[in-house]
Amino acid sequence: MTTARLGSVRDVDWRVALRRYGWNTGVWLLLIALLVFYASTIPSFGSFQIASIAKNSLPLVFLAIAQAVIVIAGGIDLAVGSMLILSNAVAAQLMDEQAFGITLMVAVLVILMAAALNGAVGWVISVSKVPDIVVTLATLFIIAGLALLVLPSPGGGTSDGFRALFTGSATGTGTNFWPALVMLFVPMLGAAWWMKHSRTGLSLYATGSDPTAAYLSGVNTARAKIVSYAVGGAFAAMGGLASLAITGSGESRFATASNFTLKSVAAIVLGGVALTGGIGSVVGAAAAGIVLFVLSPVLSAMGVDPNTAQVIQGALIVLVMMIAGIVQLRRERAA
Amino acid sequence: MERRKTLRFAAIFAILALIAAACGGDEGGEGDGDGGGDETYTIGVSNTLVGNGWREQMICAIKAEATASGVVDEVVVINENADMTGQIGHIETLISQGVDAIIINPTDREGLNSVIEEAISQGIVVVAVDQAVTADGAFVVTNDQEEYGYLGAKWLFEQLGGEGNVVEMRGIDGVPADTDRHNGFMRALEEFPGITVVEETFTGWDPSVGAEQALNIITTQEVDGIWTSGIDYTVVEQFQSADIPFVPVVGADNNGFVEQLIELDGLTGAAVTNPPAIGGVGTAIAIDALQGNDPDQTTTLTPEVFDHTEQDQLEELYDPDQQVGWSTYVEIDPYTSYEASAVSACQGPGEG
Repeated sequence: MTTARLGSVRDVDWRVALRRYGWNTGVWLLLIALLVFYASTIPSFGSFQIASIAKNSLPLVFLAIAQAVIVIAGGIDLAVGSMLILSNAVAAQLMDEQAFGITLMVAVLVILMAAALNGAVGWVISVSKVPDIVVTLATLFIIAGLALLVLPSPGGGTSDGFRALFTGSATGTGTNFWPALVMLFVPMLGAAWWMKHSRTGLSLYATGSDPTAAYLSGVNTARAKIVSYAVGGAFAAMGGLASLAITGSGESRFATASNFTLKSVAAIVLGGVALTGGIGSVVGAAAAGIVLFVLSPVLSAMGVDPNTAQVIQGALIVLVMMIAGIVQLRRERAA
Repeated sequence: MERRKTLRFAAIFAILALIAAACGGDEGGEGDGDGGGDETYTIGVSNTLVGNGWREQMICAIKAEATASGVVDEVVVINENADMTGQIGHIETLISQGVDAIIINPTDREGLNSVIEEAISQGIVVVAVDQAVTADGAFVVTNDQEEYGYLGAKWLFEQLGGEGNVVEMRGIDGVPADTDRHNGFMRALEEFPGITVVEETFTGWDPSVGAEQALNIITTQEVDGIWTSGIDYTVVEQFQSADIPFVPVVGADNNGFVEQLIELDGLTGAAVTNPPAIGGVGTAIAIDALQGNDPDQTTTLTPEVFDHTEQDQLEELYDPDQQVGWSTYVEIDPYTSYEASAVSACQGPGEG
């Protein structure tokens, strides 16, 4: 007698799962397709290429996760790119000529600093009730300015071990792809698990999807906002650290900050995170981050005019937004 | 309803994936045929400053020289705004694509060394143009940037009779060419103790940024001369729009500036050459190295100075058909083998 009921429950679960993970699966499939296509256009695709793509997409992946956490909780942070260059600058200054152990401690310190700083931004937003986009537009400039104060011109450094931690090689270039893959998947899955299974993580979803309802049902929405910004800041710092590991020296350019911010927003949109909050996951955003990175080598391998490449990236975002809009419309009609 | 929609969604993505993969297979098949036979080469290019006229012309010179050489069958250009991290990605992408030579305009003197050395260890010829790198085995082809700063600044300080307030409008902080030019500028400054630098700006080599800074400066303080790191014609325009008498301006061999030096009465100035055709020189050297001719590891072009008194030379340089940012000094003996018009056409082998 129970078998029939179990069967139907399982059936529903399967469909719910598909609805829930359909977009993520789609983005990962798109990524795999791009990689397969890319592999077939170049003479050989081996460990060097895997390592190269994995490590070079790290900064954008971390930034996409940072933006996803904040947007899911109902905010948006235009300063994630600035936080990336600030963390990069501070770490490069403090890690220069230091041993591996010290650089690791500095890394932890930098992540905590970024979390605290960005958490403070979240606090300002929740107390002042000024829209996120306005506050973070200001912090985009303020934090980038801080980065320039810390590191006025390119320089600083890090330890070989720290470079290997992210890139698999003391020189930042090589064929050992495991460290980069671990760095890619462990923080991503960690953040995804935390978002979906912890009380705090779920409170971000609740706050993002309907702050009033969340508040009325006992969620501390101010705390959720602050936490989302702090976690976002920490991931932006991870991006800055990855960037430092790749190059071996620091660089704080405003153009880098604004570029990365725009790409992080593009990544979450493509990754299925709704800009209105409450919907999406860091897993999709991370995949989209890699897709955006891989797009440039793929287009150049196809011989697409490099100036067209940016247009294609933009068109892709518009297309995704439109599809997402249609899906949303259908859902509302169905409901 | 919604479930079915999402199902369809995943299906569409999957189909797209399969199509992309299938196309990939075809491309790969074609690619395999190219390898053996005649010695033809693929050249990869990495440029990290997009929409800058100088850089675009540099890429055109690379394409023109590759076409003129007759031994290059493809030029792969990665043209994308990027920092050092991004450029490391560019170079790794070009290595992955199996190019024979990589021509880069580097973002950093040392930061790219390990990836450049990786490329060289895989048998790829690497040529850094415009700005130097210190990697072992890399060819370096540069305009002498320190002389660029020195010669232009010296001309300006002499023009002012060794006394006065000047503005130094630099490029991008930390970029090697900017540092070198600044060193040359400071060397000239030491020779003229009566000169004071009242303002130092970074234009990012962006004409509109330079224009804004120049307008701010000339409308708020008295300056006797302006040295620019190549952002020249928009600076001159600010004097016109603010209706302020010209002061001597040092710039590069930009078409717009050369035209101003020819046509504007009362404008004194000097155009210091900084040819983007260095890309063509770099290509010639890359091909030389690929053919085993063992070219010099470093090639340095010394800039030339043309001032407002040398109208004949200026008119020879000026190209009325080109836009303002076009660098007028295109053919560089004995390296380049193209016609100047080929650079304007901007076509690589097999294009157009």
